[in-house]
Amino acid sequence: MKLHYYPGCTLKEKTPGLDISTREAMKRLDIELVEPEGWTCCGAEYPLTAEKISGLAAPIRVLRQVRDEGGDVIVTTCSFCYSVLKRSNKALQDDPLKRKRINAFLRDDIKIDPLTKERTTHFEDYNGEVQVLHLLEYLRDRVGFPRIRERLKRDLGNLPIAAYYGCRLLRPKDEMDFDEPDSPHLFEEFLEAVGCAAVDYPFKQECCGSYLVVSLPDAATEASYRVLRSAKMNGAEAITVTCPLCFYNLDHRQETIKATYLDFPGLPVVFFTQLLAWALGVDRSVLGLGEHRVPADGVFSGTPATEVRT
Amino acid sequence: MRVKLKSGRDQRKFIERIEELSGENVFACYQCGRCSAGCPVASEMDLLPNQIIRLVQMGLEEEVRRSKTLFLCASCFTCGSRCPKGIDMARVMEAVRHVLDPKGKDAYGPLDVSPELARELPQQVLVSVFRKFSK
Repeated sequence: MKLHYYPGCTLKEKTPGLDISTREAMKRLDIELVEPEGWTCCGAEYPLTAEKISGLAAPIRVLRQVRDEGGDVIVTTCSFCYSVLKRSNKALQDDPLKRKRINAFLRDDIKIDPLTKERTTHFEDYNGEVQVLHLLEYLRDRVGFPRIRERLKRDLGNLPIAAYYGCRLLRPKDEMDFDEPDSPHLFEEFLEAVGCAAVDYPFKQECCGSYLVVSLPDAATEASYRVLRSAKMNGAEAITVTCPLCFYNLDHRQETIKATYLDFPGLPVVFFTQLLAWALGVDRSVLGLGEHRVPADGVFSGTPATEVRT
Repeated sequence: MRVKLKSGRDQRKFIERIEELSGENVFACYQCGRCSAGCPVASEMDLLPNQIIRLVQMGLEEEVRRSKTLFLCASCFTCGSRCPKGIDMARVMEAVRHVLDPKGKDAYGPLDVSPELARELPQQVLVSVFRKFSK
């Protein structure tokens, strides 16, 4: 079956590992991912003040395209994209004024087909028809964790992994409605479904420093260190993330973290889709491990793919 | 000591503008401090999130403007998810950033990022930081 999938800007350039492993894993679950035609950046930040309404135009254009292609669900893996798409969608469902203003703005769109040069100038108003799901939600609700268990080809041997939620998946609760903001469990259920042991640790929903890594790197170093140390202290052999920015802060900046906090021994950072793809029998060469700064080979070693489970 | 809230016309205008932009009732805050307790960047701040709200309640625009706290918020929404009065503090922060310094320079803009760093960073972080901290 076909499923609309929004990769977002970072996956295509900086973290192809998240994109490739998602595609490979979904292939093993008989799902073909389709990108909405002509998708653009979602804007990365949901506009929080009433007057910055123009920030809604980009995500709504993406969602309108999905609807016009006949889709009723779009999945994404990046936490920022998920947050922006979901909150914008909800804003259009709940707020008649925003709906009216954004649709009035998007009515001026012109789409030109690159091959036929055919111009489309008429677009139906978008009223929040598409459902925005994170891949974790999709796997739980539409695929089902029991079905994933049936398809497993590798036994990950209850490898202790720490699930890191970060900020955007969980909060604000009334808009994201992903899980309980202070005691989430969806990510842990996923880890157990793919054959890992979920490590419980108190920093799973704390912030990694997010975009402060650019404007105030020291604050991000400290915030990321607290997360990594907590996972390590509770016995994790790796930490798993959904967001390319969490990945950058925890993996690419781990050298800086180690240089600042000398007691920290290091911890591999992997994408949740890499674990899923690996457990489903995907070869290590297509997991996109090339961009990891902290070697994650230990996580993806041993166990040739076999029919290990029934 | 008693502090009279909403004393002058200018203060009232400032408060009303913050409430209009954020959609939050800043007077709902009773200073429990849970927002500041949960904030991951509180250690870097000169004024804590609950102190910012208090200054907004009193209409003390200048004091808020001088604080570097506004440009330290990572929008992780921990404050809002813990507030017993349901105030979304990240919205208040964004509204204050929006109101202050309308024609001033960027607190953090494209010129502050070196080309080497820009090549290494994921795109989403550049989009985010400029959306938050530049005009």
